[in-house]
Amino acid sequence: MASLTHHATDLRGDLERVVGADHVRDDAGALLTFATDATPLQRGRPDVVVFPGTTEEVAAVLRLADERRIPVVPRGSGTNLSAGTVPQLGGIVLVLTRMNRLKEISTDDLVAVCEPGVRTVELAQAAAEHRLLFPPDPGSHTTATLGGNVAECSGGLRALKYGVTRDYVLGVEAVLPTGEVIRSGGRLVKDVAGYDLRRLLCGSEGTLAVMTELTLRLLPAPEESGTGMAYFPDLGAAARAVSRVLSSGVLPVTLEFLDQVCIDAVEGYAKIGLDRSAGALLIFGQDGDRHTIDQDMRRMAEACEAEGATHVRIAASAAEAADVLQARRAVLPALSRLQPLTILEDATVPRSRIAEMVERIQEIAQRHDLTIGTFGHAGDGNLHPTVVLDPADEDAIHRAHAAFDEIFEEAIEMGGTITGEHGVGLVKLRHLERQLGSDQLALLRRIKAAFDPNGILNPGKLGS
Amino acid sequence: MTLETTTHGAGPADPGRRGIFTQELLDRCISCGFCLPACPTYDLTGVETSSPRGRINLMRALETGTLPDDDPTVLEESSFCLGCRACEPVCPAGVQYGALLEEWRDHLWHGRRRPLRLRALLWAVDDPRRVRLMGLPRRHAGRSKADGSEPVNLMLGCFERALYPTVSLRAQELAPELSAPAKQGCCGALHAHNGELERGRELARELGEALPGTIVTTSGGCSAHLASVLGPERVRELSQWLVQRDGAAAPPEQPEPEQLRGEARALGSAPGETDDAGAAQAEPPREPGELPRAARPAAANEPAGARRPRIGLQDSCHLRNGLGVWKEPRELIEQAGEYVELPSAAACCGAAGSYAVLRPDDSARVLDRHLDEIAAADLDVIVVVNPGCYRQLEQGIKRRGLRTDVQHLAELLAST
Repeated sequence: MASLTHHATDLRGDLERVVGADHVRDDAGALLTFATDATPLQRGRPDVVVFPGTTEEVAAVLRLADERRIPVVPRGSGTNLSAGTVPQLGGIVLVLTRMNRLKEISTDDLVAVCEPGVRTVELAQAAAEHRLLFPPDPGSHTTATLGGNVAECSGGLRALKYGVTRDYVLGVEAVLPTGEVIRSGGRLVKDVAGYDLRRLLCGSEGTLAVMTELTLRLLPAPEESGTGMAYFPDLGAAARAVSRVLSSGVLPVTLEFLDQVCIDAVEGYAKIGLDRSAGALLIFGQDGDRHTIDQDMRRMAEACEAEGATHVRIAASAAEAADVLQARRAVLPALSRLQPLTILEDATVPRSRIAEMVERIQEIAQRHDLTIGTFGHAGDGNLHPTVVLDPADEDAIHRAHAAFDEIFEEAIEMGGTITGEHGVGLVKLRHLERQLGSDQLALLRRIKAAFDPNGILNPGKLGS
Repeated sequence: MTLETTTHGAGPADPGRRGIFTQELLDRCISCGFCLPACPTYDLTGVETSSPRGRINLMRALETGTLPDDDPTVLEESSFCLGCRACEPVCPAGVQYGALLEEWRDHLWHGRRRPLRLRALLWAVDDPRRVRLMGLPRRHAGRSKADGSEPVNLMLGCFERALYPTVSLRAQELAPELSAPAKQGCCGALHAHNGELERGRELARELGEALPGTIVTTSGGCSAHLASVLGPERVRELSQWLVQRDGAAAPPEQPEPEQLRGEARALGSAPGETDDAGAAQAEPPREPGELPRAARPAAANEPAGARRPRIGLQDSCHLRNGLGVWKEPRELIEQAGEYVELPSAAACCGAAGSYAVLRPDDSARVLDRHLDEIAAADLDVIVVVNPGCYRQLEQGIKRRGLRTDVQHLAELLAST
């Protein structure tokens, strides 16, 4: 952005007048650390990083940027996996982590009101102190911010039973790229006044507005939980068990699977006694009262046995449950130790087609001479095919991209999506038209233009 | 579009690498950001650049030549980092941040003029004869065992023997089986953490020769450095030694630091409280409705005579994050009084070796939260297992005028 550099000094001064000199960074080192998020291989080059503390400061920064047509990339903790917060066109990185006040937890209205920089786990823990539950639990929940969760519509392990972030957003305050502050929704479960903009902002990936306050729905916390595991000779049998579980009247809180590559990697690294000869591992769990848990765990174990599980175990204690869950928890680290570069995607298919999809992924991996481990949320069809690579092997990186192209195509053909929970960001933008079609893509662009007439907010991504 | 493709860590044959860092160490980071909430300097600033992931990105830029050695942000961040390694146990990818930091400082600081205060510290401990001048416990036993069994020697430390000479004495009272040869110098941790990596290793090896067999230390920081050079099998921190010797509770299953990740948080975790995409949780989950194990005010109507002292612990960062030792001191404290887990017990107190001397303002800011918690919990005693923490807490508590007594674990146990 050569055009930016010459008035960068002015820009810095003007931004300092808005947020204070302590909250603007443009030193080379700082810019470098805000050039990336958690997405491998993607790097931008911001001109300046700003840390606003209030809605008014956000609005002032946006007005300033809009006048000068400077790109603005909103950012929380930078755990994005689709390069959604990578400032690939330069400009201002707008970091919202200073706005981290948890303003209220209402046990009467069952809502939390907070600023976007509150971390997911902070809200979950604060809610738990009132015996309440905030269900969305993305893998990054200890680091990620709620603003980021809403902007990306994060999922997590409990989505089958509890839904995703979208289902918990009752109201938002947001600043439009042109500087106006709007509020959509509030503390109400029922509210149909006007277009549902709060839901439109869910998953808008920082391209429509900057959210500055969130009103989130809470649930009464379940009393207890139970966890079990089942091995299968192949993934087909595990997938049939999933169908049988779900048609047996059980809506489990956890239903996760690991394929053979993942089982092998986890056991090789964590040595927790997994059966490496198994073709698939299914982890299942339920929460609620003790009676429901006992009954549902038994039903799920029976469903697994009926579909040919070679070994089924229900954890007898919290410590044993933790052991079971450790297998799932260890997948990504285990895969990442096979090779330094891991590329993780989240293609999602109807759950009836999981086995077929994983088979296709393995076939694609073989054809491209790649190691791909697949794990994910069996209950909602959200897969995490993960390719492990030597970062110096450029040919392998090309083959990985080619393989993911085929995987996305396959997912779309099965009635699935290119992204279940990570977002389109930069890395999947070129696949979006294939899924949505050109008419819908044009509509997305018109919506984007209505919010952001000058195209300054996270440009070059959704809606551009 | 200025979209670039970068590989996080290029290949060995890559001419773009300067060889400042061990390639495998630098390549390990997958940039997930799980380290951010664990980092005290990120906590203070909220700025990515002052986080472990941010610093690793700075290291990578240094390694590829994208940023020069004299880049002010690179220099500042290499110094601002406490080196507490709290980022290591929460890292799902197993990044050895402490080792990277040593390489970073070795490259930037080695042979350069460093602050006089630091040079004075390093000089004082560089020679075993000068270390001896700092004093010896009066009742030191200079002989190794005569029965031919493997010797077990107590390390006397360098600054500890000058500042807190009673610690080694109390340790010997608790463990009379330990010999304490007079001819022993500094372990070299201070050197290793301040840009003199090779000298730091050399001092550790010299100490390993002066103290054959198993080395028992009263300093968490020294034990981690010695273990990294001599191997963990040769080193026992005092609480480890006592618990193992007495087989007090369950045999201490200290997982390797790698395996430790998620261990504390795994216990009692509910299925929904797991992660997505396989990443580890960074904080112990609580059951729904469970309150944090925060300090509670002392029961008001307890009879004064029956009241057990309320005792907190300040973990030693490198003992906990580097060696995975955290259960033992807690087990031992419970024998002496009512153990109170402070919310920040595991977080760095800001002493951080020479940090408190070199960056006193930042060090005090890091300490503040700990002092707040000690005051809120109305502790009788706060226990330390590292001399740096001892001094840091002693000074902080004095400044605040708190009533809490600072004691090394050896002092607490010997007085019980």
